[in-house]
Amino acid sequence: MNNEAFSVLSEEEAQEFKAIAARIIPTDETPGATEAGVIYFIDNVLADDREAEHEILYNGMRELQVAAARGFNAAYFFELEPEQQDQLLREVEESPFFGTMRFLTIAGMFSLPEYGGNRDKIGYKLIGFEDRHAWQPPYGSYDADYAERGE
Amino acid sequence: MAQANNSQPSYPTREEVDFVIVGSGAAGGVMAKELSVAGFSVVVLEQGPHLQAADFKHDEWGYDVNNDLTWGARKGHPQTFRKTVNDTAETRESVLGYAHNVGGSSVHFSGNFWRFRPIDFIEASVRGPIAGTNFADWPITYDDLEPYYTKVDWEVGVSGLAGPWDPPRSRDYPCPPLPVKSSDVLLERAAKQMGYTPYPAPVAILSQPHNGRPGCIHCGFCNGYGCEVNAKSSSMASMIPLALASGNCELRTGCTVSRVNTDESGRANEVVYWEEDGTEQAQRAKAVVLCANGAETPRLLLASASSQHPDGLANSSGFVGTNLMFNGYSTAVGLFDEPVNAYKSVPATRVMHDFYELDPSLGFYGGGGIDARHFSAGKPMEMALSGGVLGGPSWGSEYKKNLEKEFTHTAAFDGHTTSLPLATNTVTLDPNVQDKWGRPAMRTTYTDHPDDIATMKFFYEKTMELLDVAGATKSAGFYAENGQEGNVHLLGTCRMGNDPSSSVVDKFNRSHDVENLFMVDGSSLVTSGRGQPTMTIMALAFRAADNIIQSARRGEI
Repeated sequence: MNNEAFSVLSEEEAQEFKAIAARIIPTDETPGATEAGVIYFIDNVLADDREAEHEILYNGMRELQVAAARGFNAAYFFELEPEQQDQLLREVEESPFFGTMRFLTIAGMFSLPEYGGNRDKIGYKLIGFEDRHAWQPPYGSYDADYAERGE
Repeated sequence: MAQANNSQPSYPTREEVDFVIVGSGAAGGVMAKELSVAGFSVVVLEQGPHLQAADFKHDEWGYDVNNDLTWGARKGHPQTFRKTVNDTAETRESVLGYAHNVGGSSVHFSGNFWRFRPIDFIEASVRGPIAGTNFADWPITYDDLEPYYTKVDWEVGVSGLAGPWDPPRSRDYPCPPLPVKSSDVLLERAAKQMGYTPYPAPVAILSQPHNGRPGCIHCGFCNGYGCEVNAKSSSMASMIPLALASGNCELRTGCTVSRVNTDESGRANEVVYWEEDGTEQAQRAKAVVLCANGAETPRLLLASASSQHPDGLANSSGFVGTNLMFNGYSTAVGLFDEPVNAYKSVPATRVMHDFYELDPSLGFYGGGGIDARHFSAGKPMEMALSGGVLGGPSWGSEYKKNLEKEFTHTAAFDGHTTSLPLATNTVTLDPNVQDKWGRPAMRTTYTDHPDDIATMKFFYEKTMELLDVAGATKSAGFYAENGQEGNVHLLGTCRMGNDPSSSVVDKFNRSHDVENLFMVDGSSLVTSGRGQPTMTIMALAFRAADNIIQSARRGEI
């Protein structure tokens, strides 16, 4: 991506966390965490009094790198193929480290863009959510049908 | 600290005002308006800021994670929780949740307003006592409160449709029901097919202009959020402006109350508080009304202990902080073939109360109501965090692909149920943990009664059945099988009663022990009702205000 500076993440952390986020919400037929700028959200919120979470993520990253070396002879998680990355992540799926990454990735996808993620409202578009402030009925199929039938 | 366009009086702290009101929430807002419009000098002390319509945003990260409105440990207000007195209390981000701002939790509530029914006030007599609980009758009946429920309808602003499903009412609703949502059409059709009677949900959200406020724009962010157009009838939108317009009310925001002091004769005479910068002040008063909610009011009384009141102010009964009740809750989420879009508009437009009182032959006490909602209250981030709720992976490409259907093609049928009052469910002062002001943190000791859990389970099963009848292609449901560990309904902790040995306030919300001290908020409730207690809290506040005004004019306070 571009060279926007991070406030608390090191270059290495940014690369690795970005790669993990890209497996949690991948880029496929539709944009994912990478396009939404989730890594910038993560940097912002960790900077907001979240040293404990940052430590969990850092330690988890190191363990993941050990697994990458052992399993695939790679120094970094981000160097691996997607299938290899998924395999390693599945092994730590139940861990507080993965739980925290998943939480921050999803939050970064769907929070207000002012926190650094959800760029161009990519997240909202993904789920069919128009962030409008006003609606009128009919809202969905069933109430449209209900009104038509005069129930 | 911008105020509304009215010029407020500026009462010197060392001169008595008629009333100091602690808390500007559902009850405090009503109190402030009634007393100041009646001509009394009123100071309202509110710990939070005066957020108004233009301040609110659809900010999930801010409100639900950072707790910008509900202030938890991150903002210097930790709480502790334990299930029983034999467990060690753990520090948590929050346990008893409420919004810290003018209007309190009435700013972020869902707006569902259910009157109690006649049975709620006399249920202990009708059912008989329940062993191991403080199940008791109220000192008032539905008929005593009905005129005040009607006042809430018209002055605060409630939309609904009168019908045979309602408890008796002396007047119609001021506004018609909001337009039905797809989620509620699904509920209504299934419920009718099963022989039940769903009806338009009464809500404290204006469907059309009323009292100078506009009708709802259906933005979908009611629950947990402030209304951006003042259509939701918080006390901030409906009551506070009238209080300020009276010219008698001074609203001091950013003021955190630490204690209520009494004089040698035992009367309350001043309220001590910190301003935002830490300066301590003490406002003298002829009478004090605590409306700080069912968590903070008992906390304040306990913290106001003195040599005259060693167990806490107004606590000769020992009941201050006990009988803590939440309401119970169950949810069943169903996937449907067509768009439901329950994320639009207000949380619920239909409700059914066919199970208000469960058949005693089931072997447990309880009852509740069922309505239809969006399973994450229409919030994208929360929905995605619980993604995979209908089975399916919780991360990866397939997870991502399922998100759209989960957001737009689901409806949740929710049960809202009773909680029993137990002497062992309490709010107390934690001996070890303190908040940013150095006050003992609130410690919650809470275990749901087995009947409460059985009731939640009944509603979970019933709503799963309804989803099936409604044609859901997939479904999944939840209820707190292992008991709840926190809530935003904070009830029962300074209950009303005729007997001073088993209640904290009398039937007019006056303390049994301190003749010029009143408590009216969620703490006043004797029984939990079937959910949605704010309506009853506001009605109690109108009634208490009515009696306080009459007593004060007779020189009886």
